[in-house]
Amino acid sequence: MRKLLLASASLATLAMGSAGTALACDPDYTGVELTATTQTGPYIASALQLAAKGWEEKTCGKVKVVEFPWSELYPKIVTSLTSGEDAFDVIAFAPAWAPDFTDFLSEMPADLRKGADWDDVAPVYREQLMVWNGKVLSQTMDGDAHTYSYRIDLFENADNQKAFKAKYGYDLAPPKTWKQYLDIAEYFNQPSNNLWGTAEAFRRGGQQFWFLFSHVAGYTSHPDNPGAMFFNPETMDAQVNNPGWVRGLEEYIRASKLAPPNALNFSFGEVNAAFAGGQVAESIGWGDTGVIGADPKQSKVAGNVGSAPLPGSDEIWNYKTKKWDKFDHVVQTSFMAFGGWQAAVPATSTKQEAAWNYIQFLTSPAVSGQAAITGGTGVNPYRISHTTNVDLWSKIFSEREAKEYLGAQKEAVTAKNIALDMRLPGYFSYTEVLEIELSKALAGEVTPQQALDSVAEQWNKLTDEFGRDKQLAAYRASMGLPQQ
Amino acid sequence: MTRNDPIKHFFIWPALLIVLLISIFPLVYSLTTSFMSMRLVPPTPARFVGLGNYIDLLQNPRFWHVAGTTTLIAFISVGLQYVIGLSVALALNSKVPGEGIFRVSFLLPMLVAPVAVALIARQVLNPTMGPLNELMTALGFPNLPFLTQTSWALGSIIAVEVWQWTPFVILMLLAGLQTLPDDVYEAAALENATPWQQFRDITFPMLLPISVAVVFIRLIESYKIIDTVFVMTGGGPGISTETLTLFAYQEGFKKFNLGYTSALSFLFLIVITVIGLVYLAVLKPYLEKHK
Repeated sequence: MRKLLLASASLATLAMGSAGTALACDPDYTGVELTATTQTGPYIASALQLAAKGWEEKTCGKVKVVEFPWSELYPKIVTSLTSGEDAFDVIAFAPAWAPDFTDFLSEMPADLRKGADWDDVAPVYREQLMVWNGKVLSQTMDGDAHTYSYRIDLFENADNQKAFKAKYGYDLAPPKTWKQYLDIAEYFNQPSNNLWGTAEAFRRGGQQFWFLFSHVAGYTSHPDNPGAMFFNPETMDAQVNNPGWVRGLEEYIRASKLAPPNALNFSFGEVNAAFAGGQVAESIGWGDTGVIGADPKQSKVAGNVGSAPLPGSDEIWNYKTKKWDKFDHVVQTSFMAFGGWQAAVPATSTKQEAAWNYIQFLTSPAVSGQAAITGGTGVNPYRISHTTNVDLWSKIFSEREAKEYLGAQKEAVTAKNIALDMRLPGYFSYTEVLEIELSKALAGEVTPQQALDSVAEQWNKLTDEFGRDKQLAAYRASMGLPQQ
Repeated sequence: MTRNDPIKHFFIWPALLIVLLISIFPLVYSLTTSFMSMRLVPPTPARFVGLGNYIDLLQNPRFWHVAGTTTLIAFISVGLQYVIGLSVALALNSKVPGEGIFRVSFLLPMLVAPVAVALIARQVLNPTMGPLNELMTALGFPNLPFLTQTSWALGSIIAVEVWQWTPFVILMLLAGLQTLPDDVYEAAALENATPWQQFRDITFPMLLPISVAVVFIRLIESYKIIDTVFVMTGGGPGISTETLTLFAYQEGFKKFNLGYTSALSFLFLIVITVIGLVYLAVLKPYLEKHK
């Protein structure tokens, strides 16, 4: 009898225990250990680690985050994928590498591609950047689009408003066109007052080409010819020396003259320092500028950080007709600079279900929303909810700053005319050529046209070297265009 | 165990094989790769191209440009390091008061990591917040484009190299000076030799072997410069301050063009070897003379 009682008690305890486990682990991934890899932290790696902690508590699984220096990350991932090795269950990577990875990635499970959380991801990500040849192969875990930042106090100063209108004939306000952007920079370029017009990255190896792309997108991203900013999507001929690019480069060079001295040595870090240090009246760049500018610990302009979408143009180069098309309104073109880190599950992973569940948790509105407002995670808004939850952002912004910042971020990813960044096999070979010629043009050693002619010639050579048909197929897929 | 005991082979050969394997294998592998077209990005299957990579490199104006830039930086900075280093070493050898403090403080730059030195230099040369340009402004001079105009950028890199590595030259030459025998100087003093004559005919010739070694070491090290340039200018504007190692880094770690990078490494090795051989050949008669 005693034995029977003991057995019954044990069974009851076990049953309760398993019920308890079921309650604690949802879904239950006890004994499952995922290996996730990304670049050395804090940026992005800390977001993976923060989410790993929450996911482990929720599912009883384990996540090991393996970090590699930026220069090592690509070869580590690509060699593990191409060798068919089951080294990583989750990879977090730069979108430019997608063309080399997509053949080896598993498709996102169908149940993750529906519901409110899925619809909440900004369309440009879920319909374009996460999709490759019609398949969703990755999940955006960071949003990256350029926006515009300005000093509210300077713009709303009555003397400035009056003097600006007298000089340029229109009201001082966040610019609608790139010409206005340069007018404003010119007006505020007052070195004697320790104030300069604008700040952008101009340093070779310092993210400079993304800033040029933002200027160029306004003149080359034609609403009727999607995906033709960098290459002719029919022939893969480089478009980089067409008049739209030349105008973009001329204005980018002009901006460098209206920036603090030695701005040619600015990478994005210096842009943020110049803006937060109150040295410039305006700047363009990623969302970090606004967040750093609004932080009183790091900024002299906290409380005065205004934000807006990138300027646009009412003239856009048409590569088909080889003419400028004039519009009766300003076409605001958003540029997805870099495009935001992607998380994906290799097809070789034996724990795909758990891995996708971890990515779902990592990118859920609550977890990713917290990461977006946590300094050092490197996560910028990519969900609509990230840009509408003013309460969340009120921790770092004033009400007006938050409203403008979120408005700009939202418009950047939902604009009618969005230019996608270049994503091609051999991406760094293309951008290195551009960086070198760009630096020469910025230093005045060659004209913008000469610099871009040289880039076009070298880009075409690279395309031939890598295989024109292969590159064309990858380019069309990266731009969301159907294969020919 | 006698000298001819065959057991010695049992102890020597394993160690020798391990050393050979560790040191020779990477070289052989790298040499083999230099004859292949091998890219990680976009992934392309390895293909034998013979001397193709070497020919491409030798026909690439960028290679000659970066080789020229590296040579310029190396020769000017090492020349200055030697002249300043020898002067300071002579001063320190004269038993000046507080020599100990000088010796320690002169050595400090050498102990700092080059990346940290470059970061400090970048801050010092900053146009708006940097103390150097602030001083220029206070004195009524315009801000100078230290890191953004070719000649200034090259000058800044050379200045940082000189600042960081002159202590090494001082250290070595001072050690050399302290080993020189006193009786030679005593004899010279008896002959009424002036300090300049003593320096020209005794100190400098007797220091020549160590001077040759120091300059040789510094030249080789200067040819490998990457960290200072990477942090200060990134090789810009354009490629005007790009050095051979930075070029190799761009090809290897940004473009993952492994075959080309291996060929570049071997050309680099050849350049260094040729410079070393020419240098030693030119100085050999002088070394023989003062043996």
